[in-house]
Amino acid sequence: MLLIHRSQRAANAVRAVSAGGELFVASVVVCMILAAFGDAVDPTFLGEAGLEFALFDLGGEFSVLAMRHWHLLQLLVAGGVIAAGIAVLRVAAAAYFRSLHPGLARSVDKVPIKF
Amino acid sequence: MELELFSTAFLSALLTIILIDLVLAGDNALIIGLVARNLPKETQTKVIFWGTFGAIFIRAVMAILVVYILAVPGFMLAGGVALVWIARKLLTPEGNSETSSLVKAPAVTFGAAVRTIVIADAVMGVDNVLGIGGAAQGSILLIVLGLAVSVPIIVWGSQLVIKLVDRYPSVILLGGAVLAWTGYTMVVREPLLITWFEGHPAAKLVVAILIFSISLSPWYSERLSTELKPLVVLLPALLVWMLAFEVAGSLWKMQVDYLLATGPGEYLLEALRWVGWIPLAALFLWAREQFIARAARRATSPPLRLSR
Repeated sequence: MLLIHRSQRAANAVRAVSAGGELFVASVVVCMILAAFGDAVDPTFLGEAGLEFALFDLGGEFSVLAMRHWHLLQLLVAGGVIAAGIAVLRVAAAAYFRSLHPGLARSVDKVPIKF
Repeated sequence: MELELFSTAFLSALLTIILIDLVLAGDNALIIGLVARNLPKETQTKVIFWGTFGAIFIRAVMAILVVYILAVPGFMLAGGVALVWIARKLLTPEGNSETSSLVKAPAVTFGAAVRTIVIADAVMGVDNVLGIGGAAQGSILLIVLGLAVSVPIIVWGSQLVIKLVDRYPSVILLGGAVLAWTGYTMVVREPLLITWFEGHPAAKLVVAILIFSISLSPWYSERLSTELKPLVVLLPALLVWMLAFEVAGSLWKMQVDYLLATGPGEYLLEALRWVGWIPLAALFLWAREQFIARAARRATSPPLRLSR
């Protein structure tokens, strides 16, 4: 009998979670899996294959191989940054694609063009 | 292992412990209320005090015990697997919250009431203490800090926790993810498996994805369409299949890497590893379809009339 089950929203967290919260946790999980990937990959192998610099070494601490040393705080910060980035991209992409759609013929901001 | 005070590792472990404390806190106030509801007023006050004291005492004893138990080879792996199950259970949506079977009947004596409260707290606190023990990485200071966080939650903080998780249900998802992460670190820290993991580094990634795919399945299965729902079973099963070949290769000294295979037997084994799961997956999908179709037929068919 968990305390959180006193709240209907918390007991059904997978259904009640907000889109932003879900994006943040999903980003943290992706970072955790990347950290496990950095832990699983043998750095010498990547170095020999020349892949380390090509694929992973984006500059010091931000490489996937360095993520093996990351702790929860760093994973949370990285997840937050990724989630914020995706949210900004989503808003920008939505604004861009909205501008590509033609407005209604009788809308106020419709510019009349006659040939 | 003692972590350096206020290092990132220390603060991260502390944050993990606080999150685990929040999402796995037991409903002690409700239990005490249920147990003591039929007792006289003056006995109720004593039951609340001694029940809370007993709950804190048993939690402290369990926290100390878990540090020593996790140091025994094999128990770290068992604890990690248990945390995966706890994370999965945490994320599984609840219909109606059930009252623990331990407290269905109100106590009639002071001793029985305190005993029921302490036993209920011990049962409810096992997952919490296990999570804290795994996150503390053997640091007694972190265990003490974990207790220092969980005790106020037991005594006063229940309404605060309920308000927090009600406002932000993503805390529960984060708690599930952190539990899965703690479970993964416990599995790869298992003394019996450390050497094996050093020889099979790719297995760590398979284990990580396996753990996340099992523990977070209630979450992502909610987002999958009906056609994709079998992935919830197929993905972990495929990872277990791959892992089983790695383990079998180590146990029976077989070559399961096709780049290093020499004889036809080893090539056959490799083919079985990469293709052998396909008929099993097809069989599972077929059986699932049959089961769903039979359930639908049973639901739509008219009820049988018994003739006299």
